Amino acid sequence: MANQNGTMYGLTILSPIIDDDKAVPSHDLQIRAYLASLPTDRQSPFAQAPGTHLARLVVMDDVIYVGMPSCEEHLKSKYLVFESNIDATGESGLDRYLTGLAQHSGTHIDAIWSHCVGYPGASEIPAFLRYMKACQLTTTFYFAAVNNKNLQQTQRALQTQRAVADFIASHQGLAAAQTQAAFNQFLQQLDAMPLPPAGEPHVVRAIKTGGKNE
Amino acid sequence: MSKLNATDIQGFVLRGYNFPLARHLFLRITGPESGRALVDALLPLITTGQRWDQGAKPLSTVNIGFTHKGLAALDLPLATLISFPVEFQQGMRSRAEILGDRGRNAPENWDALWRDNEVHVWLGVNAQTAPAMESACSRLQELVEQSGGAVLLGSQDAGMLIIDGQPTTREHFGFTDGFGNPDYLGVERTSQPGQGKLMPDGSWAPLATGELLLGYADEAGELPVAPIPHLLASNGTFMIFRKLHQNVATYRAYLEEWGARYSGGKQKLASKLIGRWQDGTPVELSPERPDPSLVKDQTRNTNFTFSEDAAGARCPIGAHVRRVNPRDAFGFKGRLINRRRITRRGLPYGPYVPEDQPVSDAAEHGVAMMVLNASISRQFEFVQQQWIEYGNDAHLGNDKDPLMGNHGGEGRFLVQGDTTASNPPFVCSNLPSFVELRGGDYFFLPSITALGMIALELVDPR
Amino acid sequence: MSNINGKVYAMNAITPMKPWKTLLVRAVFFILGAVKPLQNDLINLSFIEFARWVIIPRRSFPMLANGQPQEMLKYDYLLFFSNFNGTWNQYIDAFSAVLSNGLNLIWRWSEKFPGSVPVTPFKEYIARQQFDTDYYYTSYPEATANDIKSAHIVQGALDTLRQQNKSLSTEQFNTAYLNFVIAVQSHLGETGQAPVVF
Repeated sequence: MANQNGTMYGLTILSPIIDDDKAVPSHDLQIRAYLASLPTDRQSPFAQAPGTHLARLVVMDDVIYVGMPSCEEHLKSKYLVFESNIDATGESGLDRYLTGLAQHSGTHIDAIWSHCVGYPGASEIPAFLRYMKACQLTTTFYFAAVNNKNLQQTQRALQTQRAVADFIASHQGLAAAQTQAAFNQFLQQLDAMPLPPAGEPHVVRAIKTGGKNE
Repeated sequence: MSKLNATDIQGFVLRGYNFPLARHLFLRITGPESGRALVDALLPLITTGQRWDQGAKPLSTVNIGFTHKGLAALDLPLATLISFPVEFQQGMRSRAEILGDRGRNAPENWDALWRDNEVHVWLGVNAQTAPAMESACSRLQELVEQSGGAVLLGSQDAGMLIIDGQPTTREHFGFTDGFGNPDYLGVERTSQPGQGKLMPDGSWAPLATGELLLGYADEAGELPVAPIPHLLASNGTFMIFRKLHQNVATYRAYLEEWGARYSGGKQKLASKLIGRWQDGTPVELSPERPDPSLVKDQTRNTNFTFSEDAAGARCPIGAHVRRVNPRDAFGFKGRLINRRRITRRGLPYGPYVPEDQPVSDAAEHGVAMMVLNASISRQFEFVQQQWIEYGNDAHLGNDKDPLMGNHGGEGRFLVQGDTTASNPPFVCSNLPSFVELRGGDYFFLPSITALGMIALELVDPR
Repeated sequence: MSNINGKVYAMNAITPMKPWKTLLVRAVFFILGAVKPLQNDLINLSFIEFARWVIIPRRSFPMLANGQPQEMLKYDYLLFFSNFNGTWNQYIDAFSAVLSNGLNLIWRWSEKFPGSVPVTPFKEYIARQQFDTDYYYTSYPEATANDIKSAHIVQGALDTLRQQNKSLSTEQFNTAYLNFVIAVQSHLGETGQAPVVF
């Protein structure tokens, strides 16, 4: 099934945006404005609901003209593109994901999608699911670098990686008995560590390597 | 491809002169007309790429380059000025964030020459003897004063390190430098296997000329981005000048401390950081000990690949030479790195301090390094940003180059090992910054023709 | 608006296709999906976290009635969404250098595609057909595809050692621990912030 790659599901949703010249600003601009200030860290609607690895929202104004001799044409509506890479298997997995969005992030979802044609709101789950699936496109080809680990496993692995590097560095050259004892303790500490929240960079280093989200 | 016209290309671009002494003069243009007159006066002195016949080697050479601000000060047409690549227009200081030149390497900590001035012109003088150097430089000074076209902002001396009374190709950490400059199609040079690009059958071929010189096809099969008009750009190249200070005391102390913890010993640990032993033996070919016969053998001393050493147990994955020239380490038979090669020139500055003598980080020791490439952003900046100050392409996350990285005391370097006792996995922690940046900028090195056009105000951008 | 979040870049591109050519693209994707070794180069380029192509036939834009006008288009459209690590230039340079045949197979059916080699006209085409992301979320902004793959290797090795450790003497632990370190020694790069984009 084209949307599925291992345990990853490529969800592609195109929602037509309401075209109303009486709306000032227009609905697409209102979506844009809302998205501009929507948090991308642990407060993101996609961090607060389970299952999203990476997701994007794009207001697609129109198709893009490649130039002569191709024909110039235009879309009659603008569309809100929702591309999401999620932990889901099959139809039931998709339902679970969308339900999670509606339940945990309903306010944000409503604020964004209320500008879209025929949006019923997130409060009534069956209608919400019907709407989203009516806007769903089949992903023709879906590639995932890692397609067999869910989000929690990924976050735990990243946490483990950092902890292991620190452990190896700080227990170099010790006697075997000491290392084994320290290792046992390390396992206990690692198991007790809570998973970092999704969407947050894990570490703040004293030396900056730059980047947009500093 | 057509034969290169060596008389039109500045000699410094085509070869390192291997003279023992260098002095880099940095000027600011005072006015367009007098500045052009100065360029006109300097033109006959500029050393070209023409080969020297036996016995006809000059005592000194002179080469010239301009920053973007320098070209603007010479009043080149606006359309030409804005056709230069963005990074050259901005200059190295503005690119500091991109290059990772932060903290101690940030422009506000540079030498006064670079921190407080707008450098316009680089005059590179290489000489065989001290009297020849002084004579060449005073001639240049004379011309500068006579024309009134520029003022001398400062200079940087450099020279081969004299160790035990002999000039060497070593640098201050004790390593033999100067391996691995790329071969380019059409550039005459004693070619060594391993310098060029890797071919599917495992042999080495020269890189496309356009990776070094503007106006020629590059490795992507097109003419590289170049300023207009063609005649201004052709046979020219870009040069990055970086004054790299070396913290010799910190380096020696770090190796002393960590070399004692490493079962392979201090020299081996140092070789693991760099990827070569002090004498130049490549670690990939000889991980257990230096091999003088290997170093002397031109067919072998830079002829190696990493695909047999994917685990890094011979040459660590993050070692300096492996980072700056991954060869085939990223797969695809090396194709991903052919457009990321750079030519390095330069000499150390400051006197060599033997390893058993005290030395201070504050003393002036380092390398006046120059990088030559057709595209500053695609070649030098990419290597600096992605392979030296970062490690993702080598699957090393944010880890930096152990030697050159801007570690600030928090760096980590993993020596991959195996189960043999003398080659264990080993972690170097708390890496300090062994190398710091003290200044520099981006220069355009025009062809002889282009220099003439600049001097005579004949640059026409159409 | 931002196309970037932490170490990952969100590229969106749309290209028109004459409807009869759409069948050919579908065939290409079918083969790509069915013949796994064809994906090896893509996997080995290792800087794509997730990528997808979506064909929208000209009559298949979502229609929800409610007065929404019907789209009347001549072309089918190929949408491309990529989540990749590194800079825009680096990404396209790499594809042009090593995957040009595959790229050509997918995009030659799009109108006025110039070919993926040489790279400059290819970059111009992409820049024109690319549209910008309004909102980009990643649950692990500090990690690239490589970091994640390495992290899973470390987790796996640790799980193995944990299992073994339950029944090991100190001697045996010594060996097991050394083997563990060797297994993870090239997978311990720090995660963190991305280099500044240029």
